[in-house]
Amino acid sequence: MNTHIALTFTQPELLDHLLALDASELDTLEFGIIGIGADTVVRDYNALESKLAGLSKERVIGHPLFTVVAPCMNNFMVAQRFEDAAAARQALDLTLDYVLTLRMRPVKVQLRLLAGPQAERRFVLVNRKP
Amino acid sequence: MCVDGDGAGDGDLAQEHEALLQFVYMAPAGLIQARSDGEIAMINPVAAQLMMPLSRDGDLSNLFTALEDIAPDLRSRLAAFAAPQGMVCDGVHLLTPGAAKGERRMFSFSLIKLDDSRIMAMLQDITWQAQRERLLHHQEAWLNAILTGVADYALISLDARGCVTEWNESIGRVTGHGTEVVGRSMALFYPEDAITPERVLDRLHEAEQSGWSLDDGWRQRADGQRFWGSAMIAPQRALAGDNPLAAALAADDDADETGYCLIVRDMSGHHRAAEEARHAAVCDHLTGIGNRRAFFDAAETELRRWRRLPRPLALLLIDADLFKGINDTHGHPVGDAVLRHIARQMGATFRQIDVVARIGGEEFAVLLPSADLANAQRVAERLRAALEAQPAPTNAGPVRCTVSIGIATMDEATDSVDALLERADKALYVAKRSGRNRVCGPAALLIEPG
Repeated sequence: MNTHIALTFTQPELLDHLLALDASELDTLEFGIIGIGADTVVRDYNALESKLAGLSKERVIGHPLFTVVAPCMNNFMVAQRFEDAAAARQALDLTLDYVLTLRMRPVKVQLRLLAGPQAERRFVLVNRKP
Repeated sequence: MCVDGDGAGDGDLAQEHEALLQFVYMAPAGLIQARSDGEIAMINPVAAQLMMPLSRDGDLSNLFTALEDIAPDLRSRLAAFAAPQGMVCDGVHLLTPGAAKGERRMFSFSLIKLDDSRIMAMLQDITWQAQRERLLHHQEAWLNAILTGVADYALISLDARGCVTEWNESIGRVTGHGTEVVGRSMALFYPEDAITPERVLDRLHEAEQSGWSLDDGWRQRADGQRFWGSAMIAPQRALAGDNPLAAALAADDDADETGYCLIVRDMSGHHRAAEEARHAAVCDHLTGIGNRRAFFDAAETELRRWRRLPRPLALLLIDADLFKGINDTHGHPVGDAVLRHIARQMGATFRQIDVVARIGGEEFAVLLPSADLANAQRVAERLRAALEAQPAPTNAGPVRCTVSIGIATMDEATDSVDALLERADKALYVAKRSGRNRVCGPAALLIEPG
């Protein structure tokens, strides 16, 4: 099954590819995926992200990302960027260096923020630095 | 894992573990556990969120390093804490630099020594609370000024320029001055280096704006003897309404010229407790001079005054030369002794009205009200020469540490404390690059390529 999905963290046009995948397909990808709606409620939370953060999908999906799951992203670097892009009705595709506190260890990661111009689906992708 | 009395099995424990994990993820305060050398073992999201903008290159591996710019004295505080465990500091206020995308923030920071090898820290953003608290403190100071017992007070009427308009007995009693004070500036009640003519006008203006202006500090009698006192200034019209004394003073006042009422109160015996509390909040733990918070508070005030009424204002940025080498060669305790020596020399060099502070690890700043470039250069050179001539006494014997000094003066093009600091920093960079142990002013920048 994971043979026909070979998406990478840096791949162009990634948003369209992700939107075409179901939950079990997202689970096969080798970077963390958090999908949120315009209301910031988490819709997708893939297996790798769940393992990195130590939180099960049940605990995360259906809850607001910035209050329950990742308060550390509620700032101008992440949350604000989604808001700004939505306000300008522009697509967002931005990669930035970040530090996450995965299971309370400071971990250097790259985040890739993706959103379409309608912004009803948004993704935060997490790639652990080598 | 066996099932215990409550019937909790592996699954329940995993559930509980996850719930605990999320509890710490969601905690609204920053929590950090580290080794005693600062190496971070655990950190929660809020702590990372608060610290990341402060840390150079976003590295959060060491607590002390990440907070170095806003709390350079953490290592020495922990080292000086002798008890096997306990609260090293409790709710200390730390002021952050203005980030690219935001205002200066105020953090509350607590550090707990768990044992010889582990520490815990708590970090909270209290910017809004701090602003509220300052307002409350202001009101409290005002109430104190009116309500607390005082040894004695003098009631003095001032004209629009802050000069004494008439003598009365209370002036003689509290300050020892006779009728010769009439027509002279209220500055004569202050020690010579504690006020400038511009500051007198600032105080009058602030009294006009907010109804009153209050400052506590050293005052001086006619015989030169100092006493701890407070000076409250109020426009006479404002006071006259509900204060019979002020109304009496204002009675024969010229109607079209603003006058002020100055109350100088002798607070001898009261100042120690007040001074200790103030000291803890605004002084650097290691050196005893002002800390970042005191510096930025004073600098913001001074810039506000400047914008209203431009006048000379200079900033010195002072950096200990090759300081890392001293730490590496002799160890941190000797480095600390050198920093204390520099701070002492600064205390001996600058005036009381100057704002002298340690704003980074080995970086100091001095704000010189009413000083132009030539004044600033002269006094900076005096400090540089004193430190070159006099090594610091340390446990490892005398250690010489020179300083490089960058000077910036305030002008129309400079719109913030950070911009002024940045210009002083550029001059400092030139001083460093051209061989250290020297003073560079803005002119040095003109001949510096790039």
